[in-house]
Amino acid sequence: MSKNNSMSKALVRRETIAGYAFMLPSLIFFLGFVIYPMVQCVFTSFFDATMNREDIFVGFANYIELFQDKVFLGALKNTVIIVVVSVPVTCIFSLWVSSVIYDLAGPACSAFRCIFYLPVVTGSVAVAVVWKWMFNNYYGIFNYIGTNTGLIEKNINWLGDERFALGCIILILLTTSVGQPIVLYVSALNNVDQSLVEAAEVDGATKFQCFWKIKWPQIMPTTLYILVITTINSFQCFALIQLLTSGGPNHSTDTIMYYIYYNAFKLYRYGYGNAMGVVLAIIIAVLSAVQFKMAESK
Amino acid sequence: MKKRKFMALALSCVMVCSLAACGSKDTGTSQPAPEPAPAPAPAEKTDDGAESDSSADSQTPTDTAADASQAADITLWTYPVGNWGDSETVNSMISNFNAVYPDIHVTVEYLDYTNGDDQINTAIEGKQAPDLVLEGPERLVANWGAKGLMVDLGDLWTDEAKSLIYDSVQSACKSNDGVFYEYPLCMTAHTMAVNRDIFEAAGALQYLDETTGTWTTENFQKAVQAVYDYGQQNVGAVYCSGQGGDQGTRALINNLYGGTFTNAEHTEYTANSEENIKALELLKSMDGINFDASIAGGDEVNMFCNGTFAMAFCWNATQEKNNADQGNINFDVLPMAFPTESGEPQLCGGIWGFGIFDNGDPAKIAAAKTFIDFMANDEKQAVESVKASNFWPVKDLGNIYDGDALMSEYAKFIPYMGDYYQVVGGWAEARTAWWNMLQQVGSGTDVKTAVEEFVTTANAAASAQ
Repeated sequence: MSKNNSMSKALVRRETIAGYAFMLPSLIFFLGFVIYPMVQCVFTSFFDATMNREDIFVGFANYIELFQDKVFLGALKNTVIIVVVSVPVTCIFSLWVSSVIYDLAGPACSAFRCIFYLPVVTGSVAVAVVWKWMFNNYYGIFNYIGTNTGLIEKNINWLGDERFALGCIILILLTTSVGQPIVLYVSALNNVDQSLVEAAEVDGATKFQCFWKIKWPQIMPTTLYILVITTINSFQCFALIQLLTSGGPNHSTDTIMYYIYYNAFKLYRYGYGNAMGVVLAIIIAVLSAVQFKMAESK
Repeated sequence: MKKRKFMALALSCVMVCSLAACGSKDTGTSQPAPEPAPAPAPAEKTDDGAESDSSADSQTPTDTAADASQAADITLWTYPVGNWGDSETVNSMISNFNAVYPDIHVTVEYLDYTNGDDQINTAIEGKQAPDLVLEGPERLVANWGAKGLMVDLGDLWTDEAKSLIYDSVQSACKSNDGVFYEYPLCMTAHTMAVNRDIFEAAGALQYLDETTGTWTTENFQKAVQAVYDYGQQNVGAVYCSGQGGDQGTRALINNLYGGTFTNAEHTEYTANSEENIKALELLKSMDGINFDASIAGGDEVNMFCNGTFAMAFCWNATQEKNNADQGNINFDVLPMAFPTESGEPQLCGGIWGFGIFDNGDPAKIAAAKTFIDFMANDEKQAVESVKASNFWPVKDLGNIYDGDALMSEYAKFIPYMGDYYQVVGGWAEARTAWWNMLQQVGSGTDVKTAVEEFVTTANAAASAQ
């Protein structure tokens, strides 16, 4: 018995060692390129850190400055607007499209999925260049259509006017955000137990009742996942801003991510940039926790 | 449980060791093991009188160079200054250098303006800075020089060099306390340009002097109005979506009524002067001139070339050459100085030259100085080095572009080059604040309020440096 026991322990030990050995490469990568930079980010946020000189410990000065910085507060506001608008719109739109296309014949459904997924796989630079051309003040297609149909009297400087610039960014963000949720929702809707739906229909349930009472609860985990990733992506909106507006005009399209980039990689204020990064991480973590809690309560 | 803890601890140790290994590469001051010196170049290579003699004519640097004739490996990182960003051209020049100095090996890395600063700053942090870098005073002098990272090039600046190199260039190559951190190679004056065909059709050519390439502020207004009345709704744009090409908007605003960007000592920003405010108010009020926050200098150039605008404020000889070569221009381009009240424009210039990072290795520093001396002072090579940049020499080398109509036409603007104020402190912040200020003006903010905010931001950055 004791011999069997010790053999079993040896086996477990060998398996444990093998398990850790297999994990080791990705673990090293994860620790080195995710955990270590995160710790370093928090640590550096307490320093006046820049290039080519020793860091100076400043305690919470970066955080205090952050909440007195009008540009940062503006960027925070813009980021919140992007999240508040784009997350629900992305979820609702992608759910609507998925509901329409999920039970289409195979090729049709695939074609729609492809069309909506194209902006996701297209490089953000290419997407931004095309949109920039369409929004062009002088010969963009929106102004062309607008003026020729009488919708607008004269050309609008879509990306150069602070009244429109953020809206344009959100619109582009939506087109690049809906692809993945549509694919996920189509998959989730296809996995809904059809026997329940058919039974409900036989019992006289309307289409809306079928959706709300049967499908919606079953696709809730997918919805939660989509909510979380869309929220995170919206908070991290950077490439479009960098490529299209550089945060302008008048900081009207500054986002936290862009402002972090500007401070860290243009002004080399690493400590200040990292403090913003910490604040952004806390906001995203809190929001994600709230979303999970809400989903759990349902 | 204990075993798991032990494994976790062991993994942590592995991690720490691997990180330590990543950072423990000694890149500091240790002398690199010299490669075996290649066989001496054939005698006839160095018998090319002009090359070897002119190098020998130089004073102190050549003395240093003599010491540096031992094997040394140096690195040159070059920003895309004309064809100094082209490996074929640079390799050809390095071959010329190696024909005279066969034991100095030069490795080149090509940077761009998007990532170049990051690459160099990262290299500095990692004690891997290049030995040589080719760029302008705003980086070599005002940035890395001011931080004590560069070698004093005073010994290259011999009395002869000082007597030959233009004064405005000399002052840009040294810090406020008189230390030379750059040895200049080439320069240019940024201009503006007009679409001559449209101007002619609009009857606006009468307002400018085609021979000298100058015009007055009053005539500039008349010309813009004439072109606008002719039907060209977008005559020009004060582009301000980013810092690209901002030398054009700075020069335009400073020139209109004789304003300045900084004081003469380059210690304080003065863009809030009455002259600059007046210039901004004038531009804001002009028909056909838009403050456009959706485009930067590069976009403006493209839109000028495709006929959207009748004038470009971001222009120079290279722009015309490149766009003409690519077939982007199908009209006559007329390069112009920026309009002034006095008729004496002060153009914003560009100066490019070499700096040496102080990597603590005297042999490499000496070899780098030898390289600079050869590229910038060797009678024959200096012409080739300057021509590779597509700009003009910083001293009189004769008409190096003889027979080149385009370059000869733009040469007339070089004497108009004004103060090289880009060496002022807080330059990176000031550049961002500048286009933000223009965006504010464009969206209706009171001009005085906007420029005061700009100056406050820029001066704060300058004093913090």
